[in-house]
Amino acid sequence: MKPVIALTKGRLEKQFLEFFEGLGYEVEPLLEKGRKLQIETKEFSFFFAKGVDVTTYVENGIADIGVVGGDILIEHQPDVFNLFPLPFGHCRMALATKRDYQWPERKKRIASTFTNITKSYFKGKGESVDIIKLEGSVELAPILGLADAIVDIVETGTTLKENGLVIEDEFLSFSARLIANRSSLKIKRDQLVPVIERFREGARNE
Amino acid sequence: MFLPAGSQDETGVQISNRLRASEIFRQVTKKRNFQQISTPVVEYAQTFTNEVAGMDLHSMLKWFNGEGEIEVLRPDWTAAIARAIAGQHPSKQKWSYQGSVFRFDKEDTESRQAGIEIVHADRFFGEAESLLTAVAYLKHLNIEDYVIELGHTGIFDALIAPFTFSKQEEAELLKAMHDKRSDLVEEIVVTAGNAELAKPLMALIDAYGSRDIMEQYRNRWSDRDDLTEILTHIDKLIDLLEASGVTEVIVDLGRVKNLPYYDGIMFRGFLTIDGSTCFSGGRYDRLYKQFELITSAVGLAFDVDVLATQMEPEKEPEKICIIASPETHAIAEEFRIEMEEQVVDIQYELKNQTSYHTIYQVVVENSQYKVVEK
Repeated sequence: MKPVIALTKGRLEKQFLEFFEGLGYEVEPLLEKGRKLQIETKEFSFFFAKGVDVTTYVENGIADIGVVGGDILIEHQPDVFNLFPLPFGHCRMALATKRDYQWPERKKRIASTFTNITKSYFKGKGESVDIIKLEGSVELAPILGLADAIVDIVETGTTLKENGLVIEDEFLSFSARLIANRSSLKIKRDQLVPVIERFREGARNE
Repeated sequence: MFLPAGSQDETGVQISNRLRASEIFRQVTKKRNFQQISTPVVEYAQTFTNEVAGMDLHSMLKWFNGEGEIEVLRPDWTAAIARAIAGQHPSKQKWSYQGSVFRFDKEDTESRQAGIEIVHADRFFGEAESLLTAVAYLKHLNIEDYVIELGHTGIFDALIAPFTFSKQEEAELLKAMHDKRSDLVEEIVVTAGNAELAKPLMALIDAYGSRDIMEQYRNRWSDRDDLTEILTHIDKLIDLLEASGVTEVIVDLGRVKNLPYYDGIMFRGFLTIDGSTCFSGGRYDRLYKQFELITSAVGLAFDVDVLATQMEPEKEPEKICIIASPETHAIAEEFRIEMEEQVVDIQYELKNQTSYHTIYQVVVENSQYKVVEK
């Protein structure tokens, strides 16, 4: 059976395909996939899913290896081998709020998709905050008065800027990472190690 | 009514296989002279969270009792058994157990285990007997496609021993090794001022595979008696397994303990078909130090739920139905008792004819009740 690779759709997809092509692998079926979520190439079976779902599929052994953002791995702590960083998908985690915002004297309200990262960040600072979980467009929260600030990933900072937000602090940086199922890596070693090593070599050369 | 997440009812093949797996385990361990032990489902949290056992309270199902002490549903057998048998006479060495463990951090809150503990015995004997019991049990279940993996906590411990790490750094390093996260391993050792350890540890992450890898590390560690002794130990166990007909044995020299009380050899069984872990265990002498016992302790536990999903369904015996009535039920029962090999059902009204191989009915002939084929 061919190795099964789970890929994060969206932000990381295009960057992965460029990286993957650079390693000399066949990418045409992936480029021409249209709306299909499962693609077969000569060497691999691929499927595309949301980042956090990639970790779930790999953890449960549906995929042998996966490509996912480091932010997702820190937030959700899946039980997988978290092998090494890949040379794309770079971003930072930042605390951002409205320009010249006067912090209230009460406990702060922080909106984020990354509630565990937010909790750990403020715990590290020794500060108690209330965290509001949002599923997306977190930049709206300070603007509309739902929260005092947000914790979110920043790539270029353009979205923050366009919504009148400024970075107060940057505290983590990430890239995409290669993950592997704990059993697959051992029992499909002969199939997976050559691929993993090619990824590692490619990551080292960039 | 609904069930909480992580709980489930069982019917059909799954429960039939699970009960069969349990019964076969009882027979296999009884024949190998293990004594059965059962500990209560409710224990003090302290049994599992104390400094030696070191388990995480977060993942346990817990509550306060009337005295304000934290009680839990048993999250682990080994720590519970250690508490129970620490006071037993040392001549009692081989114990077997079966029952549920409860954890929040697993997909199923309740999982069923069947396991063995061998205490106060010669170290190699305990490990060999544990592994061979696992092999015998899998054979009795007709599960043939599996891989046994061996690792040893002493390798990582010996490599980091000459270096200084804070408790937190060591815990982070252990986690990074557990995740085979090479970049973080490098970062932690370099930040701690132990850069020369980066290369050996990063290489160790990839030291898994067939036993051929042992030779490579025997050369690499030729000046380290402590490490070559561990390799020799693992080699002896592989020889034993191979001599017992196990062909798929792998090693992971970079494996670190995932429970704080592990202290030596670690074993794990993977089912080839889907990679699921069907058993795990190892040595944990240090668990008995909390009871002021300097002794040897080793064991392993099977995940009976995993085994049940892989077992072939039981061959269905001949199924017979006897049509009776309130007046003839006792006659039908008498007939049923005579048929020891078959499944015999009694019905007053035949509802599903196709589910039986043969159907009988109780009739009256010459003023006497008689059971005849319909």
